[in-house]
Amino acid sequence: MKHFLYLHLLSARQALVKILRQPFGSLLSLLMLSVALALPLALYLGVESTQAWVGKLTATPQISLFMELSAEDADLAAVKSSLAGNPKVKSVSFVSKAEALAGLEKRNGLDGLAADLDSNPLPDAFVVTPVTLEPGELEMLQKELSGLPMVESAQFDASWAKRLYGMVELVRHLTLFLGAALGLALVLVTHNTIRMQILAHRDEIEVSKLIGASDNFIRRPFLYHALWQGILAGLIAWGLTGWLVATANPAVREFAQLYNEQLELRTLTPFELLAMLAATGVLAMLGARLAANHHLRQIEPH
Amino acid sequence: MIQFDQVTKRYPGGNEALKNLSFAIDSGEMVFLAGHSGAGKSTLLKLIAGIERATSGGVLVNGQNLSKLRPSQLPYVRQHIGLVFQDHKILFDRPVFDNVMLPLNIIGFDRRDAAKRVRAALDKVGLLGKEKSMPIHLSGGEQQRLCIARAVVHRPSILLADEPSANLDRAYALDIMELFKSFHQVGVTVVISAHDETLMEDYGRRIIRLREGQFAA
Repeated sequence: MKHFLYLHLLSARQALVKILRQPFGSLLSLLMLSVALALPLALYLGVESTQAWVGKLTATPQISLFMELSAEDADLAAVKSSLAGNPKVKSVSFVSKAEALAGLEKRNGLDGLAADLDSNPLPDAFVVTPVTLEPGELEMLQKELSGLPMVESAQFDASWAKRLYGMVELVRHLTLFLGAALGLALVLVTHNTIRMQILAHRDEIEVSKLIGASDNFIRRPFLYHALWQGILAGLIAWGLTGWLVATANPAVREFAQLYNEQLELRTLTPFELLAMLAATGVLAMLGARLAANHHLRQIEPH
Repeated sequence: MIQFDQVTKRYPGGNEALKNLSFAIDSGEMVFLAGHSGAGKSTLLKLIAGIERATSGGVLVNGQNLSKLRPSQLPYVRQHIGLVFQDHKILFDRPVFDNVMLPLNIIGFDRRDAAKRVRAALDKVGLLGKEKSMPIHLSGGEQQRLCIARAVVHRPSILLADEPSANLDRAYALDIMELFKSFHQVGVTVVISAHDETLMEDYGRRIIRLREGQFAA
């Protein structure tokens, strides 16, 4: 058992040394693999980073009810009681035109704006939180509320967020598809690398077989070579996306601030990194195993 | 030790290399295989080493019937056999020392002891001073000695040599034969094939003569 482990350690070390000793050839295939891996990885991080934010937007859909500018207190009271009596309405908050103006000043740093205006151009508004989350019912409620007396319009705040959510879903599917496609590419590229290696070591394999090497013994260094290649490619891809996230984040923050939101792309968690390295390692070994099974059979003796 | 029981070997294409051959070689015996090229000498050695499998009949080596073993078990049979090839099958991409180390790596020998074993084997064949040389710088005779060192480094119980002296002049060939004799003297079963019988007759050992896959009269 100890010997078995020792042999594996030896193979692992020799394979790594081999990759590091011929940096140019292995660097090319490593770079190719890592660039291919970095693409779905960056998409994944983009989706994961925005998802919580988009989810928050869509999870609490609100309908803003803007009153006519000429609406009187009596009209407000009528709408308020009608909303209070509506079973489809969960809660209502009232934002008076004065509050809205003050909020606008504060948010945008426009102190003294109110003083410059002859009259407040903003309407009174009710922010309605509906009971349902179902898009169809929300739309019906929106129509119903817009029909209330002295209501100028009922805006469904979540509609644009829903569109965004849909887009994120689309990108997420794209990520899965790309991930699968490039996982396959990883298998095929390692298959090819190992095939070339086996052909280059044909003599050594033949002699080793003749003097009693088992198939496992012969396969082992190639599998380790593939394992390292997969792991190194994963690490480089991780570095590439880390760099991408770091350079993209200032722009993302700026964009999010336009909507008064905090948004940042994140990098992989340690768990995600480990999972990814495990996946690239296993896929690479799969490619190597397929290549080894196919080509070792062609070398005498059988 | 080695026993053939009505062994026939037919290659794909119908060429019958061995025809219904039965014989036994005792443990510790030194035997010569004689016959022209194509008589079946190489095939016979390959059957003993489990490199080829008999079409019919039983091949017993160290008490194991090779015909009944799964292909995946054959390498382990080979680990107890030393093979000397006519074309040496030396790896030219590594020094002499590493060539001899190869069988020890395969059977998983302890590394420190392995180096001692390699030097002992090289000493035995007179190549100790050349352990760091690349095989391309060795003469034909030295390459054959290297091949022998590799065949004996793991101390096999059986040593098979296929035309070990075929490309060597007589003096070198005699040296090689003396080497094999010395392994025989320490108890190794040795089977040597050659087409030149004059070398064998000096040794007074049993000679198995083959012609077209059968015993020659």
